[in-house]
Amino acid sequence: MSRPVATEPPTNAARLVRTRLAGVVSPASANAVVSPAGRAEVLPGQGGVLTSVQLGDAATGWCSDHLEVGASVQHPEPAADQALQVLACVGNQAVVLDGPAALARGMVAGKHSGLMIAFPPSALALIGPGDRVVVEAFGAGLQLTGEDQVVLHSCDPALLGWLLDGTEPGGRLRVRIAAQFSREAAGAGLGMPASRFNLDLDPALARDPATGAAADLRLGDVVAVVDQDHRRGRRFRSGWLAVGVLCHGRSAAGGHGVGMATLLTAPAGRLSLAGDATANLRSFWLAAAT
Amino acid sequence: MSRPRDNRSALVTVTAEAVVAPARWHAPGPGTAGGGPALLPGGGGVAVGVHMGDEVGRWLGDHLMPGACVEDRADGQPGPGSVHLLACLGNRVRSASGDLLGVVAGKRGGLAPGFLPPSLLAVEAPDERLSHIGPGDRVMVETTGRGLQLTDHPGVCLSNVSPVLLDLLPVQARGSRLAVAVTAWLPPWAAGSGVGQDAWIGDLDIADEEALAGQSLRYGDLVAFQDFDSSAGRFRRPGYVSVGLVCHGPGRGDGHGPGACILMSGPATELTAVPGPASLGPQLAELAARPSPPQRVPKERNA
Repeated sequence: MSRPVATEPPTNAARLVRTRLAGVVSPASANAVVSPAGRAEVLPGQGGVLTSVQLGDAATGWCSDHLEVGASVQHPEPAADQALQVLACVGNQAVVLDGPAALARGMVAGKHSGLMIAFPPSALALIGPGDRVVVEAFGAGLQLTGEDQVVLHSCDPALLGWLLDGTEPGGRLRVRIAAQFSREAAGAGLGMPASRFNLDLDPALARDPATGAAADLRLGDVVAVVDQDHRRGRRFRSGWLAVGVLCHGRSAAGGHGVGMATLLTAPAGRLSLAGDATANLRSFWLAAAT
Repeated sequence: MSRPRDNRSALVTVTAEAVVAPARWHAPGPGTAGGGPALLPGGGGVAVGVHMGDEVGRWLGDHLMPGACVEDRADGQPGPGSVHLLACLGNRVRSASGDLLGVVAGKRGGLAPGFLPPSLLAVEAPDERLSHIGPGDRVMVETTGRGLQLTDHPGVCLSNVSPVLLDLLPVQARGSRLAVAVTAWLPPWAAGSGVGQDAWIGDLDIADEEALAGQSLRYGDLVAFQDFDSSAGRFRRPGYVSVGLVCHGPGRGDGHGPGACILMSGPATELTAVPGPASLGPQLAELAARPSPPQRVPKERNA
């Protein structure tokens, strides 16, 4: 599989280790949620295999709670699961090991309590909970050369090359994003380690960076959140930006929303955010597969 | 101006069992961007000498709560069970001997759904009693307060408030509006760990030092989160206010900080937080130090 290289930012990727990690497709969850209006509902939740909604489809509007892209993978042993959840990076390749979809190839598309792996619809139609999946983990420890204040998480080096769009004359890194969230958007996920899980964002507070209009959010969108520092734990900090990919759908519960797996964080002055409607992980995936 | 009416005559009191939690080391947390995670006490156990009314910055701890940490009985670390969910601040706690140990003065936990532990209650008690209990000891919590409502303020949601605590709260009815005094007024983005979790589980962290503008907090201080609702989950909601009681000290990881157990929330049209010195720390410590009332065990009658 060839990898798209829009730009080749200087990194330490040559020193990073590739590790094959195993996981198991997790069972589906039924989530009991109460809306701010007090309405209780039971909805399909995280886990399992999502066959009806793909990377690139709308992130909101579904009758679901925290719907996860593709197949959700975990490891039954806590320490091994921790390794899988931390070391796997968005953009990494994955392959189904057993069951009727054996040898089907996919790509890590996000992080929640489990790892989300996008597969083609033909593979998703055959994958089920209990099937084993191997992820070729690559990217933990990735660092942009000479950019000490830019911290990367869960980012495959090839994805980083696709994410960055060169450098401004003043030296700022250009990052292509599909939507930008205001500081008030951050919800559940605050206080949790940025290398795992994700940050829930209020979809009503997303703006199209090009027009300023309400953003039309899609699963896989590259998005930025204002005043978030994700170097270690996810926290509010004025003057910082966090960039990531939308990987799970919204929730009816207050304080929850669409989930952004963190890829990059930096002082706002180091980045130049460029609105780009094609800044969606599906574009990277399709380019990587050709 | 008057104190609001409530439905306390309809509340039941249920004795729930809890055990003193062991001291636990939660590793690895997110740490901070400024350095590695600090190894400090605060996760469970009994903190002799730490009391409501103390400045939270006085102690070198991580999520440190005053007095004894108690939790539901379970194999391994429990999620929020019946005692965590039913307990309200101000509830009496009896030791295994039946004597008063202290009162519930805080809750901790509820990072996010699926990541619930620890699920601790803080029991404020005099040092001489704290010195005689330890992890694993049984205690009984006289839980009451769940269902408490203000009769004339149906839009105000009370959570974790016992009738005893309600009587201590600096609230005043001003027509249809309820005013509560708070020592700190926080913007919604200051809310960190605990967003998205139910108000009756654990606490909400104040995760932005700048929001406090150098103000030091004490255990028991009342704080208000602006544009924040806590009636069904804790979340940003313009036009709402949530009021909590500071019950744990600074958390050392990013996105963590001093934590407040949410007591009340509602739309600004029905609930307003007014600035003023508002701390229940000394009153809760005094409540906990009251001598145990005489046991009234009826003598068995001769047949």
